[in-house]
Amino acid sequence: MAKISRRTFGALGLGAATAALSGRGAFAQSGGASFMSFTFAEEPNKPFIDKLIADFKASSGIAVEPIGTAWGDAQKNIVLRQRSKTLPDTAQLQDRWVPAMATLPEIVDLTPVLGAATLGAIDPGASSLGKVDGKQVAIPLISGSVGFVANKEVLAKAGVEKLPVTLDEFRAALVAVRDKVPNSVPYTMATKNPGAVPLDALLIFWAHNARMIDESGKVLVNSPEGRAAMAFMAGLMKDRLIAPEFDRPDSRRLFGQGGSAFYVDAPQARTFARNFSGRGEAMDVNVIPMKTPILKAGDTPKSVEWGHTVAMFKNANAIGPDTPASKWMKYLLSDAVQTTLPLALGGLPVTTAGRNAPVVANDAYLKAWGATVVQAMKHEVGVWSNGPELSSILTEEIQACILGQKTADAATASMQTRMEASMAKRG
Amino acid sequence: MAVHDMSASTAQTTFPVSALARRGGLKAGERRIGWLFLLPAVAAFVLVIAVPFLRALGYAFTRYDLQTPEPVFIGLGNFRALAASPEVLGSFVTTLLYVVLATGFTVILGLAWAIVLNQTFRGRAALRAMSLLPWVLPSTVCAFVWGWIFNSRFGLLNAVLLDLGLIPFPTAWLSTTSGAMSAIVVTKVWLSIPLYMSFFLAGLQGLDREQIDAARVDGAGNLAILRDHVLPHLRPVLLVVVVLGVIGNLQQFDTIFALTGGGPVRATTVLSIEVYRRAFDQWDVGMAAAIGLLWVATILPAAYLYLRHLLKGV
Repeated sequence: MAKISRRTFGALGLGAATAALSGRGAFAQSGGASFMSFTFAEEPNKPFIDKLIADFKASSGIAVEPIGTAWGDAQKNIVLRQRSKTLPDTAQLQDRWVPAMATLPEIVDLTPVLGAATLGAIDPGASSLGKVDGKQVAIPLISGSVGFVANKEVLAKAGVEKLPVTLDEFRAALVAVRDKVPNSVPYTMATKNPGAVPLDALLIFWAHNARMIDESGKVLVNSPEGRAAMAFMAGLMKDRLIAPEFDRPDSRRLFGQGGSAFYVDAPQARTFARNFSGRGEAMDVNVIPMKTPILKAGDTPKSVEWGHTVAMFKNANAIGPDTPASKWMKYLLSDAVQTTLPLALGGLPVTTAGRNAPVVANDAYLKAWGATVVQAMKHEVGVWSNGPELSSILTEEIQACILGQKTADAATASMQTRMEASMAKRG
Repeated sequence: MAVHDMSASTAQTTFPVSALARRGGLKAGERRIGWLFLLPAVAAFVLVIAVPFLRALGYAFTRYDLQTPEPVFIGLGNFRALAASPEVLGSFVTTLLYVVLATGFTVILGLAWAIVLNQTFRGRAALRAMSLLPWVLPSTVCAFVWGWIFNSRFGLLNAVLLDLGLIPFPTAWLSTTSGAMSAIVVTKVWLSIPLYMSFFLAGLQGLDREQIDAARVDGAGNLAILRDHVLPHLRPVLLVVVVLGVIGNLQQFDTIFALTGGGPVRATTVLSIEVYRRAFDQWDVGMAAAIGLLWVATILPAAYLYLRHLLKGV
């Protein structure tokens, strides 16, 4: 065996280290872009992102490297990558994460990069999903709203023929489901995870004409209406009309499997129901978008603005109008993408042209969904940069209330105090 | 004699030395090789433990969250906020409760199982091997298995209790304060019994059988033998097991996070979960580091006891 001198050994080691270091970022330098996506990590939706990337490569010759991340871990991964200086070129963000992610110094203002013409193609309403303080820090990818979905088949089993309009009718329908559909959870309200609980809570607060935080940042939860909303949720749990330990994926699964009559979701509900029921498109007839129940006649049903966005980050690669990352983002707003991907994922296109396309305008489900959106409001918790802390506080106090550890009044008062402290710290 | 020695020494210094000989002789060469072997471990320690620990120590005195992307020195601000936070103080109490229950039950059950497996009976070897199964399984897998057992809708526990007519409808075990705490303690105890049992079983091998037989002849019962012979014999093992158990349970994260995520509300939010939530849910790295520092302080007494026992045997 040939002897290796210390110098040779050292040179080999140095060479290996250099090769390892230069390997980092080699993908982007080879003319591609990276794309961190939670849709890519969702098994039913992965093929759509695969196709999107393949089509982009076929049309532009640019390779995009998908980086999958679970929805619940996406923000963590982005912040950790920011701290370790390994941010991807582009990343998919839930619309309500945008304000928090916009605090990262590496986020790119897209107006000079993508140009007015590209951004002008976006529907003004959808455009706001990616704006923070007037700056376009993300482009919308798909849009819609978050509202209630009903399972027609389960309601039929319970003898409920008409979708509930008021909260009293909603409650009566839940009782009927509990009593007539064995092993069901009538309303699979999210009760477990701070990432999901605030959406259900917002809708129930708004249904009681309560607010959580107004546009100026003033916390308003501890009002008579807010306390009534908390008492309503506690009552649902007491009467076994909702259940503890439910996260959004659990709700989707049970709804698809016929164990739940109502849950809260984006228009993607149809895609999840198709998959979890095992019945594919045959399940579509049972997925009925419904207006948020109201307290009394004359009230306006409200839903939460919702969408997926894509942001660009500064890293070792160049930023400019003609970089692979910019071309990728422009492609996401093209008609080819906007008339296919949103439909596949169960959302609305974000460009004006996409929304006017016949294939979108004639989709009965999306049309029905649109009819339920009477007033879409901003997520009152997620729009703040301390949204994650506010969500944790909200979730803890709602859990304490529905699990009987605190009265509705005590939980609401505590929520008010803690949220005010968080907002004060935010400055 | 002295003259002779001196001349011998002079003769030694003038003895022809090989050109390849190193300064300081063989001992110095050994030392250098020793340092060379030590270098990877020292480098790993510095990179993986010392540097992150010192940085975290520094962050504890800063405001470092999403609103302040670069750390800003605030002195003892985080610690003042911690002292005024009933949530964080609650986490200390929850941690204490968890450590006492998990360590206590594991020691008692591990010792009992070791005594059983120390008896001579048919199939003992197979039972000993099977007893190690929970230890072999990844802890998160165990957590999910127990999570399924306690699940409110599909759980095994509910199915059995419903079948026996002991409960009228499924109970959400993980959604009550006591149920969730019991679940994380049971899971950890189940996971840790094999390790503790192995320690105790090894200790029991050195127990003098004749001494036990003599005690029985003198009329000692099982309890007296346990109290007067077995436990004094196992005292050193017991000390190590308890200290290691306390340290391990103070650091416990994975099973708790996988089972309850620290909930319901904050019922199982031990310090490890609190640090994780502050750092990765709320992005308050400064506050997370401050809690982490206090957390280390709670582990230090147990670590000191263990190291003292290890180094001095007392």
